[in-house]
Amino acid sequence: MRSAGLLAMPDDDAIVARSLAKRYGRVVALHDLTLRVGPGECLGFLGPNGAGKSTALKMLLGLVRPTAGEATLLGRPVGERRAREGVGYLPELFRYPDWQSAREVLGFHARLIRLERAARAIDMVLDEVGLRERAADRVATYSKGMQQRLGLAVALLGEPRIVFLDEPTSALDPLGRSDVRALIERLRARKTTVFLNSHLLGEVERVCDRVCVIDGGRVVAEDTVAGLTGEELRGVRVRTDDGWHEHDVARSEIPALIARLVAQGARIHAVEPNRTSLEERFLTLVRPV
Amino acid sequence: MTIALFAGVTLRELVRRKLVAAVGLLTLAIVAFTAWGLHRLATTVVEGEPIAEPGVHAVAAGIVLLLAFLFTFAIALGAALAAAPAIANEMANGEILVLLARPIRRAEIVIGRWLGVLIALAVYVAVAGGVELLVVRLTTGYVPPHPVTALAFLCALAAVVTTAAVALASRLPAIAAGIVAAMLFGLAWIAGIIESVGLALGNQHLADAATLVALVFPSDALWRGALFALQPAAFAAVSATSSTTNVNPFSVTAPPPPAMLVWAGGWVIAVLIAGIVSVRRRDL
Repeated sequence: MRSAGLLAMPDDDAIVARSLAKRYGRVVALHDLTLRVGPGECLGFLGPNGAGKSTALKMLLGLVRPTAGEATLLGRPVGERRAREGVGYLPELFRYPDWQSAREVLGFHARLIRLERAARAIDMVLDEVGLRERAADRVATYSKGMQQRLGLAVALLGEPRIVFLDEPTSALDPLGRSDVRALIERLRARKTTVFLNSHLLGEVERVCDRVCVIDGGRVVAEDTVAGLTGEELRGVRVRTDDGWHEHDVARSEIPALIARLVAQGARIHAVEPNRTSLEERFLTLVRPV
Repeated sequence: MTIALFAGVTLRELVRRKLVAAVGLLTLAIVAFTAWGLHRLATTVVEGEPIAEPGVHAVAAGIVLLLAFLFTFAIALGAALAAAPAIANEMANGEILVLLARPIRRAEIVIGRWLGVLIALAVYVAVAGGVELLVVRLTTGYVPPHPVTALAFLCALAAVVTTAAVALASRLPAIAAGIVAAMLFGLAWIAGIIESVGLALGNQHLADAATLVALVFPSDALWRGALFALQPAAFAAVSATSSTTNVNPFSVTAPPPPAMLVWAGGWVIAVLIAGIVSVRRRDL
């Protein structure tokens, strides 16, 4: 169903935002958001509650009109109907009609996007989110976690080129969270662009290529995960018979360090890169001392 | 295509939420009760003689008008309470976010939902009205002058209330939009009676104020159109000569003017467009 025009621009950025801003009366929800997300990239979009994350995401989908700035999806201006072709979205707060079954909800969305071989595509996404056995049951009988899985299935239907996930694991137990992480990794392997809003920084750290942190409606940091956490700079911790020892060396010097310690007769039990976690970095960004 | 999808899902929802079954059963009870009552009337023996046909028909005609009034209120209430959640609930539960992330227009959702509710109401008017009139005919032999026209007026009335509820639901919660739309219908009905009183008393201010209400919410002209199509000519003649203190809300002397019907049609289109624009401009 995609136009030749879209296919002709494979190298274009999947998501582009230029100086996006949103004001509700006197309240400024978002100042000047500028970012690019490349095709197949996984961007973690972080920020404390009320930072403007969901507003930004909704503006990228044309659900909220920006007060200023512009954005494109797959090269098409947001707001144009066709910009939303090939896009899947899991909102943070939603409830599907309780009188329908998961299969009916997915069937309706398949018709909305005029999906060919819909029955097969629906089975695939039901398998992907682990909901196939309950697919014929009414949504009213689903737990919160199952509703979130259904939301994920709807977002993944039709193999979209961009998937926006707004807190995809908020209602899930640890098993469900692990499933979602694996799912995002599969999306990355398929070169699907993922825009991930999440409070779970460990999750973002594990699956995202790049991270954008916003606070008070402003971008406060944007970098790769390694760039933000300063992985290269903080050396290693080595545990020997007499406990942990800090060694301020570059990553490339670690093998030589270990060889030297062993040559000096030390018995090495563990070696850990001594780096700032994304959570620590996040806290310094949004709660400056 | 997308409009048909939303109309279809709206109809399915009304069926699956057991609304159709509940309304169907209650309507069946009303029809059965009417059939029993009219049958008793047609077979009643007074002083050893059955009631003459003109007498039975006169009573049946009166009952048909009262039934039309009952169904009109049921239809107006049904339109308000089915149309408002069809739009507002999707916004309240966040489902609209996922739908609008698809390559579809907001207008397609609004028109599809509006159309779905309207089709359900039109089918209800045709089936319930048709069966009720058939029962009257089978039990008493009475057929009102223009039954199909009357049912068409009731469908148009349903369109006015449905459109109002849809437009209101673009900004208000479902319950508020539904109640306001139903109350507007009630206000228009009272205004219609006040207009009759104003005209009968020769009080132009009263009549003008009521006309203004009729222009703002044109459902009463359609109710009067249905009433005129159902009442025998003799009822209209009696109504025309009745005294000023005896204004009958179940009788009219003339059909609504064509200009008013054109206005009602234009009103439905304009208010639907206003509802669409309101949804399009809304940040979700």
